[in-house]
Amino acid sequence: MGRETTFYQEFEVFSKRTPTASFQHQFSLLAPNKEMALIMAQENFMRREPVVDIWIVNRKDIRGLEGEEKLILGRLNNKDYRETKGYGYLKKKWRHYEQQMFDEKEILSWAGDKK
Amino acid sequence: MVVVALKTEEEKQQEFLARIEAGEKIEADDWMPEEYRIALIKLISMHGISEIMGALPEKEWVPKAPSLRRKLGIMSKVQDEMGHGQLLLRVAEDLLKPYGKNRGDLMQDLFNEDLKFHNVFHMETNTWADAGLIGWLVDGAAIITQTNMLGASYGPYARALQRICAEEVFHAQHGESIILALAEGTPEQRAMIQESLNGWWESLLMFFGPASSQTTGASKQDVTIKYRIRTKTNEQLRQDFFDKYIPRILSLGLTIPDPTLRYNDEEKRWEYAQPDWNEFKKIIRNEGPRSQARLNLRRTSYEYNAWVRDALSAVIR
Repeated sequence: MGRETTFYQEFEVFSKRTPTASFQHQFSLLAPNKEMALIMAQENFMRREPVVDIWIVNRKDIRGLEGEEKLILGRLNNKDYRETKGYGYLKKKWRHYEQQMFDEKEILSWAGDKK
Repeated sequence: MVVVALKTEEEKQQEFLARIEAGEKIEADDWMPEEYRIALIKLISMHGISEIMGALPEKEWVPKAPSLRRKLGIMSKVQDEMGHGQLLLRVAEDLLKPYGKNRGDLMQDLFNEDLKFHNVFHMETNTWADAGLIGWLVDGAAIITQTNMLGASYGPYARALQRICAEEVFHAQHGESIILALAEGTPEQRAMIQESLNGWWESLLMFFGPASSQTTGASKQDVTIKYRIRTKTNEQLRQDFFDKYIPRILSLGLTIPDPTLRYNDEEKRWEYAQPDWNEFKKIIRNEGPRSQARLNLRRTSYEYNAWVRDALSAVIR
């Protein structure tokens, strides 16, 4: 068992489906090095789905949150000035000036050519 | 001064159960009761090893498959099963860390017969119809039990099952394709499926395990339900299988080899003849028709392929 525990390392595998997609976590695997991990990642997790890129990350290089550390992720519910919901009253104001509200849906639709 | 309030085991246990009840997922590094960890290890290591043991009877059909397309189809299924074993053993290994064990130890446990593999993989396959029936109904039964755990409280297992069930859809259709080709074939081919169904019916009933722990003296179902690893009992899963598959089996003109089988409309459940649970007890003691042969095949291939593991782990000086 000695050699196996020191020799095999745990890798986390990430991949993306399309050139514009974000990387997504797939699963973990055991391999003796990054190169083998890459080959095994493809064999293990990408037999069917389209894939355009793969990341292999050694688990020992990941800093995650353990148990009670996750408490630091809690948020106070008093930050509506950071969010659009804190500015919802603008809709009514703009209506007064006979204008539409530029909301998220509207602004993100401006990508590409003008229709 | 920093005051660190140490929680008692009792408080941790309460918090843990509250998290599970709230639908939260438990992750590998989270605190968990030992009973939960042990239940998961038993379940997932057996599930993982069974995927690998199940690939063995199936792989025998690669050279015997009747066409190139069928060979490719069953070969990719065998590869998937080994892949499922890989995923599940990874999940089991992370749980085994506090005990200093890894997949090599699990393989040894299998060889020592301390770790058992699923009862359905102790049976013999005789014809191509058996290969088709396994894909259709054994994988169908496996889909019923595995989808029941998709919402499992243990996150890594639920995620592994998500991947596995997605591939099982292909496996089920692969089996249906073989069976429908035979069902629409010659009278000999139709007779072959009927014979196969006659041989496998009891195994399909046993697949889900006995209804209560009284049959074998032990059952994982209570503890796995308590910890929300699964939601349904063995009997509920068997009934689900009947609901989904009996109409399909009959639609092909096949006869189910149980003259007592009937649907009880009032109780909304199927009545059926119990399989021979003494035979089941023998199978789970590795005394089934192919138990020792399959174990030996696994042992031999583990030894035969030892050089690959050695080569991979060779230290380059």
